[in-house]
Amino acid sequence: MMPDFDQQGKGQTKAWQPDLSAPAVLLEGVSKSYGRIFALSNITMALNGGVTGILGMNGAGKSTMFKLLMGKLKPSQGKIRLFGTDPWKNPAPYARVGFVPEHEKMYDWMTAHQFVSTFARLNGLTRAEAMLEADRVLNFVGLADVAHKKIGQYSKGMRQRAKIAHALVNDPELIILDEPLQGCDPLARTTIMNVIRELGRMGRTVIVSSHILQEIERITEQIVILHNGRLLALGNLHAIRDKLDQIPHRITIEAEDAKALAKDVIDMDEVYGISFPDMKNLSIQTHNLGAIHSKLPAAIVENGHRIHTIDNPDDDLASILGYLTSGGGI
Amino acid sequence: MNEEEAIPEQSIEFGAEAPVTGQGRMEAAWGSSEGDEDLSATEVSQPTSTGHVFEQVYKPWKGTLNPRWMRNWAILRHHLLGIFKKGHRPWGMPTRLFILIVFIASLSDAALTLLSGLVGDGTLHQLWGVSRDNLYGHVLGFFPRNVLYYPIVAALLVGSVISEDRQHGTSALYFSRPITRFDYVGMKFVSVALIQSFVVLLTLSLYYFAEIIALGRGWAWIMDTFPLFLAAFLSGMVLIFTYTSIGLSLSSVSKGKFFPGIGLLSIVLGTKVLAILVSTLFDREILYLLSPYDCMAHVGQTMIGTQPTYDQYSWTWSLASLIAMNAIALYTLSARVSSMEVTRE
Amino acid sequence: MESRPNTIYRALDRKAAAITEFTMRQYRTKASTWVVLGVGLVAISLVLLIYIDVMATGFESVDNDRDSEDPDNDGYPTGQEIKYGTDPYMDNSHPGLLTPSIEPEPASNYIDEDGFDITISGGADEQSTGYDDDGDCRDADRTNSQKDSNDNNIICDILIERDRFSGDWYAEADNYVDEDPDDAAYAAEASHMAFVLGIGKMGFVLLLGMFLPLFLATGLIREEMNDGTMHFMLSKPIARTEVFLYRILGYLGIVWPYFIGLGIIFALISGFIGPSDGFFRFQDLAVWLAIVFATMMASFVYGMLFCALGTMWRFGIVLAIPFAAWELGMCIVSMGAPDAPILRFSVVGWALMIVDAAALMAWPNIDIFILQGQLMGDFGLIHSTSLALDFFHSEPGVGTSGLISAVIATVVLLVQGAVLWFIGGAIFKGKEIE
Repeated sequence: MMPDFDQQGKGQTKAWQPDLSAPAVLLEGVSKSYGRIFALSNITMALNGGVTGILGMNGAGKSTMFKLLMGKLKPSQGKIRLFGTDPWKNPAPYARVGFVPEHEKMYDWMTAHQFVSTFARLNGLTRAEAMLEADRVLNFVGLADVAHKKIGQYSKGMRQRAKIAHALVNDPELIILDEPLQGCDPLARTTIMNVIRELGRMGRTVIVSSHILQEIERITEQIVILHNGRLLALGNLHAIRDKLDQIPHRITIEAEDAKALAKDVIDMDEVYGISFPDMKNLSIQTHNLGAIHSKLPAAIVENGHRIHTIDNPDDDLASILGYLTSGGGI
Repeated sequence: MNEEEAIPEQSIEFGAEAPVTGQGRMEAAWGSSEGDEDLSATEVSQPTSTGHVFEQVYKPWKGTLNPRWMRNWAILRHHLLGIFKKGHRPWGMPTRLFILIVFIASLSDAALTLLSGLVGDGTLHQLWGVSRDNLYGHVLGFFPRNVLYYPIVAALLVGSVISEDRQHGTSALYFSRPITRFDYVGMKFVSVALIQSFVVLLTLSLYYFAEIIALGRGWAWIMDTFPLFLAAFLSGMVLIFTYTSIGLSLSSVSKGKFFPGIGLLSIVLGTKVLAILVSTLFDREILYLLSPYDCMAHVGQTMIGTQPTYDQYSWTWSLASLIAMNAIALYTLSARVSSMEVTRE
Repeated sequence: MESRPNTIYRALDRKAAAITEFTMRQYRTKASTWVVLGVGLVAISLVLLIYIDVMATGFESVDNDRDSEDPDNDGYPTGQEIKYGTDPYMDNSHPGLLTPSIEPEPASNYIDEDGFDITISGGADEQSTGYDDDGDCRDADRTNSQKDSNDNNIICDILIERDRFSGDWYAEADNYVDEDPDDAAYAAEASHMAFVLGIGKMGFVLLLGMFLPLFLATGLIREEMNDGTMHFMLSKPIARTEVFLYRILGYLGIVWPYFIGLGIIFALISGFIGPSDGFFRFQDLAVWLAIVFATMMASFVYGMLFCALGTMWRFGIVLAIPFAAWELGMCIVSMGAPDAPILRFSVVGWALMIVDAAALMAWPNIDIFILQGQLMGDFGLIHSTSLALDFFHSEPGVGTSGLISAVIATVVLLVQGAVLWFIGGAIFKGKEIE
């Protein structure tokens, strides 16, 4: 008559072991619907190792996906596996997972040290072990000197770091951060990004979600793009960009004599279009960025043009997202 | 070339004694400074060119503000129409349903009077027709009206009326308009009271009216019984006023949605239970003075002229206690609302 | 870290301790906790203060047979004049004129000069009981048939009969038997016992035992879900059913010491102030222990229930209102008809049974005591205080001995709590948390 602690019917008596052959995170055909609205539709992906950015506008389904991973929501279709185990109604995998939720509210009356050590004990640590681990992780995120102040007195950045610290206390292999940079000032953002990069370097699987595209670019090149619940793109940021070859790259050059430069450039095979945004600027449209970049310096130098700036305005996440969401998926 | 100048350390403590300055609130709300950093600024040694960063010209608004009553009417309308229309204050479905049920249930005596008139049954009319005791019972009867109907309607209404604004920050929407805090609270009070009077006073009037219709009462009868009806009406108003003021003061104190409602019910029923306990044990009725219901009942009995059931003390004590309870509740309410922060708490 | 096996059974006590401590700390930081505890203390102390005042004022003894009066103003109370055979209405006839002359006795000798000693022994429907303590029946100069006015062939007794249909007892006393019982002593004892039972049942078990969980336990899970802080607790290898239980344990860690402390205070004060032969009423301690225990059990079951309601539905607390009304009704029923089967469907019915069982064990003669008051009271002070006591006292509903009833009731309450835990945990398990 023991209560059903593992929530799966029979009491779990054997130690839970992670399936080492399985990826840390696996989603297969996962959909989540609320009535007729699909928050996620048919997501399939696997993540193992390194830092992965989940990108999408507000309402794209990023938080929904995280809550599905953390067993807070049940998928309407498809299957989810954390280390090979289904997390719905089974919290055993969380021994190896650290989750940083996006909700702002925290326990303002606790100090960061109390917060981290109390929740550390939920992993089964003793009080003494929890205190030591709390010191360790608070040091790692840079809150060691303010660890004994109440969280209510913290700034937004410090609160985020305290949340990250609490997620790291059980030395997890998979760390999920839901909008960790939201509302932080630039100094805090930098600190948190450093922490995330460090975790990736240490070999953990880190999943970060954000809609602040510049920050994701600075943390990682592995991205997943969600839009309206669908998976738009998955992979290396630059590779994704390159795949979009139906959308031309642009190179913007600010030159002393834009028209003269245009004459020299227009003959190149890879150039299929030229435009003049204004008197001093030349915009080249091309399908093959690499080839243009190898030929362009020669064309400029040999012809004696004077150039102020060369810019590649499309090779960043904002434009990728813009192209993808206006034009459809890959 | 660049000088670094350390700005004196701003340590902003958020202790209880800290004055609530604008900056204090900003820091608390948005957390842009950690409070114990060394802030430094870089100054360029060459002077920048002069010129406006941007130009702002403030002009006084030359329009006419509509009269105060119109603004207040807007608030009142928003709260009242929300009971049965979309697009206004969304009272929850359980609240609306319960108000409807109570309205119908409160009409039971009117329905039975009509029935007695239709059927011509004298005994039925004696039991349910308009009389001093029945008028009193309609408003102040303990079971079931003041156990199951009216206090619970009041509890459901007052529960979220102020605390929801505090929780979601919509109080900022009110106070960034030319609305005083007194008007804000006043209109909420009036709207909750009006909804309750719909259930208590309208049904009372319908009951009186039903008697006139069903039994064809003439002017002589109306002249005789109208003072009783007025007295019952007045008692109903006292009842509604008391429940509303206690409930609203609880709503202004709490941030939760249900604590004020449960608190109101606990006060009304809990004090009654305690008073009954003491009066059964020791035959002392003094604790009835702490029970809002019993104070109102005593005063109501005096006004309507029914048999008093509290014989150990005069009704003036109950009246004094009632006034004191309302005064405390209203004082709490006004103190809380005038010190209410307009940011989301 | 790697050496630890990864079942979620591991270190249950550590997880339990962590969440329980955390919950208790969280309660301490909330103003509403202190407000609720404070208001409960004030409310119930008011009743205690009134009790102290009533006991201090004392009760007036009533001379039921008016034989302490002196209508002829000769200085000798009527009772003394009757005793010595003189005429109480003629001032030239009094015991001072007898030889040897007899001194006048103080009038107080003739107030409450008789005892109340009705007892019921055995199962007979008709019994003779009572004793004429002051001798004004036995010693009087009358014939035997005059002394046996109830015609049961026993002089100077009280005949008690049980009505075969209603089960109620009726008394018929011979003239001058137990006609002036000690009102003050009876009223004090009855009031005290009524207070203990009344405050225990309605104050402690019903009001405190139900309203404290209503305010404190409903938000245990629901508030965390609303605030988003539930994610912190649930993103750990801990089962949701466990989280539910440990949160409740934290809540019990706040309310149980409160009840125990309050119970000790009440027991001490009422033990010293109540009427007793010594300086302290030790026999009451068993009842107070049962009251505190019943309150603890009730708060445990109600806590589970309200927490489950809160978890189940956003507006779960709205469902608590009709439930509270039901329990109030059941409390009244329990005092009026303690063996009604409908009580089995309530929580408060079982909790009150524990109190009743303890009352049965601590005050074994309480039934007879009440009966005495009703049979002898004549609508005076004795009668009214015995009615009050009768209202709050009842036999334990399962009809067996005190201890067995208490044990059964405790087991039932524990089972109710466990069932509610399973239900609440199951609801929580299936909840999607945004």
